[in-house]
Amino acid sequence: MTRLNVLLVLAVVASALALVHSQYESRRLFMLLEAERKEAARLEVEHDRLQVERRAQATPLRVEQIARQQLQMRMVSPAITQYVNPPGAPAKGAGAQP
Amino acid sequence: MSRSVQLSSSPLLASKTPVWRSKLIVGAIALGFMGLIGRAAFVQVFENDFFKRQGEVRYARTLVLPANRGRVLDRNGLLLASSVPAPSIWANPEDLERDPAKLRQLAKLLDMSSAELDKKLQNEDKTFVWLRRQMDEAQVKQILALDIKGVYSIKEYKRLYPEGEAAAHIVGFTNVEDQGQEGVELVFQKQLSGKPGSRRVIKDRLGRVVEDVGDAVPPEDGQDIQLSIDSKVQFFAYQKLRDAVQEHKAKAGSVVVLDAQSGEVLALANYPSYSPDKRVNLSGEQLRNRALTDTFEPGSTMKPFPVALALEKGLVKPETPIQTAPGRITITGSTITDAHPHGVLSVNEVIQKSSNVGTVKMAMQIEARELWDMYSAVGFGQRPQLPFPGVVSGRLRPYKTWRPIEQATMSYGYGISGSLFQVARAYTVFARDGEIVPATLLKAEQKVPGVRVFSADNARAVRKMLNMAAGPGGTAPKAQTMGYSVGGKTGTAHKQEGKGYAGKKYRGFFVGMAPIEQPRIVVAVMIDEPSNGRYFGGEVAAPVFSTTVQQTLRLLGVQPDMSVKPQVVVKAVEESF
Repeated sequence: MTRLNVLLVLAVVASALALVHSQYESRRLFMLLEAERKEAARLEVEHDRLQVERRAQATPLRVEQIARQQLQMRMVSPAITQYVNPPGAPAKGAGAQP
Repeated sequence: MSRSVQLSSSPLLASKTPVWRSKLIVGAIALGFMGLIGRAAFVQVFENDFFKRQGEVRYARTLVLPANRGRVLDRNGLLLASSVPAPSIWANPEDLERDPAKLRQLAKLLDMSSAELDKKLQNEDKTFVWLRRQMDEAQVKQILALDIKGVYSIKEYKRLYPEGEAAAHIVGFTNVEDQGQEGVELVFQKQLSGKPGSRRVIKDRLGRVVEDVGDAVPPEDGQDIQLSIDSKVQFFAYQKLRDAVQEHKAKAGSVVVLDAQSGEVLALANYPSYSPDKRVNLSGEQLRNRALTDTFEPGSTMKPFPVALALEKGLVKPETPIQTAPGRITITGSTITDAHPHGVLSVNEVIQKSSNVGTVKMAMQIEARELWDMYSAVGFGQRPQLPFPGVVSGRLRPYKTWRPIEQATMSYGYGISGSLFQVARAYTVFARDGEIVPATLLKAEQKVPGVRVFSADNARAVRKMLNMAAGPGGTAPKAQTMGYSVGGKTGTAHKQEGKGYAGKKYRGFFVGMAPIEQPRIVVAVMIDEPSNGRYFGGEVAAPVFSTTVQQTLRLLGVQPDMSVKPQVVVKAVEESF
């Protein structure tokens, strides 16, 4: 009888310790997960910010300035555009035709 | 054996104390246990909730999960407005570490003088003072690196507007609290703002989240709003308008570009404008969304409408001759004159040469009620169905109160008023073969049915007149473009001031469409008070129309409908057999 009781006490203590450990482990893992989530959110925000920045670098104003001044480009006009109609489509009398 | 001691009979152990003492101890201990049991019952059973709550207060926290404000996109999905994190710096003057050297550095990073900073921090009773809101993340990092006790940062968001002043009147802006103040930001505040969520967590001693308690309420991010605006068209329209306003030393100007088939607004720009990112010293002049909120008498741009109605009623044909000599007509005592007297003009030429007399002669043959019906059917006196702050309906008085002279002046655009946007939309009736569609600022998903006002044949006939007006012998040859046939009507209106008309203040207009056979866009331009010598709509507004149409049709990929002398250099290599 005594032996059984001792055994049960030991079992209870062991399971209690296991519980403590698993709770600790779960919190530790949760913390890691939380940190990763935070990082994900940060990266998402960074992504948004970079998108805005990219857009700001490619506004029509800037594109036009650079195209004109640095690349010496000029606006296209129908006079220097050749329109190609897919075969079968009715050819419209249009644009510059060689 | 005799040496052994009999413990039980040891005299030393013989108790001499009275029995009551041990009973007292037992009793006291029992009482102590009773007390403990009572307390345990109190804590565990009777006041259990209170203690549980107190415990939770010490480790559980509710975190607010902020919702992101939706973005504003143009029709091709390009960003017009988006939120980026911009932390704010605040201080608690009560327990601020007042180290002069560090505060000097702080002031420098905050971009303010030391005196300014001191002023903000002098009241030591306060526990919260904003130092600077919505800063760059890099700067905030530097400030936090100074490690001043009592200076903290808080996470906030800032709106960025990559298109800047070109689209300012459409997109609008938000205030520091992320509430829409103007434009689309205000109109769609509800859809854009979203709903913050929350979650309950357990935090450990170091403030790290270690466990979720219960279910979290996820935040609902704001919706993205996709406008019908094309940011490239918007930019070009704004640029050309700005150049024209500056060239003609005008007070202001507006331009509206509509998709003639779907009623979508491709561009709507006003000048002067402002930069939505830097809103210091903004004036009402800059903020005004003139194309929608300012009404004016549209002048000659009105003429095609009564003429179309006259065609519709079978009163005239495009070739019917109308006597406009001697260039004036008297109606109930008031005289209406033409700028240049013409002789006999066909209906086509009345529009081409913009003859007041010819138009009035046609309008006077129509009943007032029918004119009123037509004016309101094309949108005059009706508030445009645009969910925008300050959209005006203009003025169209009930026909019963019209005097004959008013019926006459209205036919050439005086005594009736509307916004530039209304005029542009009214012209879609000619562009869409006699049907009018509601204008929309949001990208249209499917084709919308229109309401028929004129027959397709008559709409085409008016388009031909508009084409003539923009051609040689018309009032606005400067509206022509390379490769695309255009049609449109000029207008030059005296500005109303108080009760009369200002002598030398004008508005120049041009409203038109292209390509004329199958119109794709309707463009309306208004230049307010051009004061550099020229003021006729055909001189100041038509060139803006021309360049805007040229760029817009190219961007939309519309093929030119007129042949152009090619400047393409084709390298021909002789074929060898």
